[in-house]
Amino acid sequence: MHEQAMFRDLLRKVTEVAQAEGAPHITRIRLWVGALSHLTAAHLQADWAPMTQGTVAEGAGLEVTVSSDLNDPRAQGVVLMSLDVGAREPAPPPGTPGA
Amino acid sequence: MTDRTISVDYLARVEGEGALKVRIHGWNVEEVELQIFEPPRFFEAFLRGRGYAEAPDITARICGICPVAYQMSSCHAMEQALGISVGGQLRELRRLLYCGEWIESHALHIYLLHAPDFLGYPDAIRLAKDHPLAVKKGLKLKKAGNALMSLLGGREIHPINVRVGGFYRVPSKEELEAFRPELESALELAEETVHFAHTFKFPDVKEDYDFVALRPPNEYPLNEGNVASSTGLEVPASRFEEEFQEVHVRHSNALHCVRKGGGSYLVGPLARYALNYDRLPPRATSLAREVDLTPPVRNPFRSVLVRAVEIVFACEEALRIIDQYDPPESAWVPAPAPSGPTEGCAVTEAPRGILYHRYRLDEKGLIADAKIVAPTSQNQKRIEDDVRHLVTRSVHLDDESLGYACERAIRNHDPCISCATHFLDLEVVRD
Repeated sequence: MHEQAMFRDLLRKVTEVAQAEGAPHITRIRLWVGALSHLTAAHLQADWAPMTQGTVAEGAGLEVTVSSDLNDPRAQGVVLMSLDVGAREPAPPPGTPGA
Repeated sequence: MTDRTISVDYLARVEGEGALKVRIHGWNVEEVELQIFEPPRFFEAFLRGRGYAEAPDITARICGICPVAYQMSSCHAMEQALGISVGGQLRELRRLLYCGEWIESHALHIYLLHAPDFLGYPDAIRLAKDHPLAVKKGLKLKKAGNALMSLLGGREIHPINVRVGGFYRVPSKEELEAFRPELESALELAEETVHFAHTFKFPDVKEDYDFVALRPPNEYPLNEGNVASSTGLEVPASRFEEEFQEVHVRHSNALHCVRKGGGSYLVGPLARYALNYDRLPPRATSLAREVDLTPPVRNPFRSVLVRAVEIVFACEEALRIIDQYDPPESAWVPAPAPSGPTEGCAVTEAPRGILYHRYRLDEKGLIADAKIVAPTSQNQKRIEDDVRHLVTRSVHLDDESLGYACERAIRNHDPCISCATHFLDLEVVRD
């Protein structure tokens, strides 16, 4: 739960980029985790799905790269490197079985 | 629209987790208000209507650094409510899991958050530039704690192998023995950590703490023991709410916990050490003597040394448990269905201090009411007292230096917002 502030900030940025690009849906997100970050890849993977529910990033795949470089100036941080945007699958027409 | 990749390269920020307001009138400190975000209060509401068996997994989500503490307190409380007792090897495995959490949590705090304060660096990045070996050792120690949590808990964050009555699966003797070399290496690193912390220069400060910690009959506390204090209190967990009281304060989302009829108190390493020094195992005791860490330690800055000694304890204890391990026949003690409404409570020792859980169950075993008192809310008033004393001593400093000194005073107690105290919103008002 204490990672919430960081997740909130990441999601705010993801939403902002999606809006600027006119993208209805994010399909993949790539994060970089510094060697001195208190968060681990397991942290991020475990909390990602519940935190993105109901957002533009819901269902997006998450790729996490963990750095081992202690001297990187961002070593204590988490960086949103890039994201893939795309359209959601179109809704099936009314009356389609299973719709 | 076709799929495409957009480069962003944005460094995420942590904001809004903590704030400190200090009001100074002339040379007098009139107000110190620490504001923190406290998730357990929301979880108390989430838990209502859920099955008793869900509590360990739900409460583990409260904290990514100390999920085991939440699982242990909830399991013990539910077991008391259901009338079952977990002993023998299952009890030992719970202690082993807790050791993993103490190792990773204390190593994180010492190397990434606290050490830079003593060595004159603004953060761990600058510390790592000049002391890469020390930081690498710290990370290795933290990794060993995480690995122990994965081994017993199924994964290092929010473990999934803990249940009321024990575990879903217990490790084999071979699995635990295979981990022994990593723990031996962690013990050596822990001993080096004590020596590393002993080189720090500590401000000459002494606080008059009312220490509160668990005190079991014959071991250093993790899961069990009476709630004891340095002023002579010694009561079972079931009397926690008779002795301690949560109060609302205007300036914080967190409730402040105080002694009934008294004031602030301190939980965590300094308190455990003061009340249980005689329960430390041999190597931890011998190292504590070597660095002149005579209990009680009333200088909050020296808490970094106590944390280092506690890592030595956790490694020693983990090795002891592995060496005596004989896998139990069953991974858990079955719980009977409740015969009617029932209630249970428990206190265990999170790395940051005692964590109290109380649950009321209905006749179907659904949670009717939950109460969780986290260590940070118990320490919050005491942290404000420390900061008030510090500001009184340092009122001549400019706002920037005073702000840094306040952050250090808060970090001494490793609050749950520890990682966020580097991002503390500080307001100094001088009238």
